[in-house]
Amino acid sequence: MSALYDVDNVSLDLAGPAAGLQRLLPGTAPRLTILSSLSLSIAPGEMLGLVGESGSGKSTLARAMMGLVGITGGTLSFEGKPVKSRADFVKVRQGAALMFQDAVASLSPRRKVAAQIVEPFEINGVALPEGAQTAVAMLERVGLAPALAQRFPHELSGGQARRVSVARALALNPRLVIADEPTAGLDVSVQAEILNLMSGLRRDLGLSFLIITHNLAVVRHVTDRVAVLYLGRMAEWGPTREVFARPLHPYTRSLIAAEPQADPRKRRADLALKGEIPSVLARPSGCEFHTRCPFARPRCATEEPQPRMITPDRMVRCHFAEETRTETQGGNHGTDLEH
Amino acid sequence: MSTPLIKVDDLSITYASEEGPLQALRHATLEARAGEAIGIVGESGCGKSTLASAMINLLARNARVTSGGVVFGGRDILSASEAEKRRLRGRHIAMIFQDPMTSFNPVLTIGEQLVDFQDQREGLSKSEKRQQAAAMLKRVGISDPVRCLDRFVHELSGGMRQRAAIAAALLMTPDVLVADEPTTALDVTMEAQIIHLLRELRRDYNGAIVIVTHHLGVVGELCDRVYVMYAGEVVEEGSTDDVYHNPRHPYTQALIACDPANLHDQTPVLPTIPGRLPDLVKPPAGCSFAARCARATQHCRTIAPAHVMVGPRHLARCHEALS
Repeated sequence: MSALYDVDNVSLDLAGPAAGLQRLLPGTAPRLTILSSLSLSIAPGEMLGLVGESGSGKSTLARAMMGLVGITGGTLSFEGKPVKSRADFVKVRQGAALMFQDAVASLSPRRKVAAQIVEPFEINGVALPEGAQTAVAMLERVGLAPALAQRFPHELSGGQARRVSVARALALNPRLVIADEPTAGLDVSVQAEILNLMSGLRRDLGLSFLIITHNLAVVRHVTDRVAVLYLGRMAEWGPTREVFARPLHPYTRSLIAAEPQADPRKRRADLALKGEIPSVLARPSGCEFHTRCPFARPRCATEEPQPRMITPDRMVRCHFAEETRTETQGGNHGTDLEH
Repeated sequence: MSTPLIKVDDLSITYASEEGPLQALRHATLEARAGEAIGIVGESGCGKSTLASAMINLLARNARVTSGGVVFGGRDILSASEAEKRRLRGRHIAMIFQDPMTSFNPVLTIGEQLVDFQDQREGLSKSEKRQQAAAMLKRVGISDPVRCLDRFVHELSGGMRQRAAIAAALLMTPDVLVADEPTTALDVTMEAQIIHLLRELRRDYNGAIVIVTHHLGVVGELCDRVYVMYAGEVVEEGSTDDVYHNPRHPYTQALIACDPANLHDQTPVLPTIPGRLPDLVKPPAGCSFAARCARATQHCRTIAPAHVMVGPRHLARCHEALS
């Protein structure tokens, strides 16, 4: 199966703060690695989850995929065609849509909903498919009442604003929707409605979704595959069910263990992950997770782990993925993947 | 069993609005004892923030108390004089807000503010107060407290800010600590650390902790008892274990069911709670959840249910709670 969107070995670095002589000599300032050698592909009709703490580069990757920030290495391709120039990205933005993190803030406070959701047509010079009725038809598609077309964004509830951003993302019949924290800040019942809406659109229209979130419950529930990002590098990816059942990377394991449990009988005794994600200004050597990893050994501080395929559909970047897994889970569970 | 440290007794609060008085809180009753952590959960608009602001006596100007009160130290604090209210706040009842970025002053250092917060503490010099502040920062897990005192709030990471806010609230060793969505603005790993910290502080703090949240996970990890709110009413209360494992109000059941965190397998469609919150300017005559409840009968729509005792210290406001 060929990929819908393919991210191959993509890197993104920025000029760091210059000091002393570096200020006078352009190009000598240190480079800050924001994304490093990221590879990821999204299949048609697939729901892929992208998780990691704030500062791991999730949103930056999404913006790079839409051409909102430039990459400095690697290749992007959409529907089999390489994406490089501005013109290529214009095509990407017709076939893929980005739902921004803050649904209310991504709408103009001074324009009515009706005027804003038809903007994708205006920007791309496409005639309104249903003329004056277009806005209402778009709202109906996401389960909103026609009357909402005449409202301003501040008159919408959080869930309604989220639905409006889904409607706007669907305007040009994209094949891919990149949703950045689509349910952050919503009540659980409204969150369930938005997730059901996205699953329904995928089922009915064959859409692919890239869901960026730090809510693991959402990822576990709606995605087919999940990719885990840490400090701009991929820690692990694989089928969601397998990654949650048998995480290979210690970081994935820590994230899963950190999730608060509603069941008081499952309270955690101790802390899964100490400390905070390091700054890109002080990226740790070797494996960037070694400063927080409960299994770190001397080799981790010096040698950068390479991506390894443990099974045909599971990747991990950890020197000791096999050993640390048996250390935490006992040998019995460790064998069912190495077939 | 000890007597409650703070008790919200039959409290009703309305807000003036263009359409008429909005009944944000209706006959809410709850209590927290020393050494106990209670949770108040519910979705947006259920009245949990109104309840929290009543407990710390910071009600909005358009709020009016129409019944009941908040009893602390043997008297109703809502009818106290302004001077007394000021004395209670911080020293006896303190609050941790959702967003520490906005609860600290951006142009003063953390240290200046932590010294100011001890204004009512007598017999301590400024440098002693600063030492107290540093000790408290260390207590909440800030590794370099002296340096932190000289920082501004924007120089701290999200997790550090929330730790500093907790330190600020605990400085005067209040009897009651109210935390409004203390982890909502944080990542899952930071959230786990703050939960861990609050749990640790509980052990050597003999006050009552009140956690206001929409996140059942926070309640499950931290609270002994939980109050579930819907449309301005407490619809169920009980031990966290009873309410999670044996919820008796249909709203509590729905709330637990629609959170994907509680489902083990993927389903194509998540359960939702169809319908909307009732209009609180004209709340329904019967049960406020009847319009969204699959089990509602004509009886539910006309007669408001009373609290039904469904187990020891476990109440549900539902006609069908025992069936």
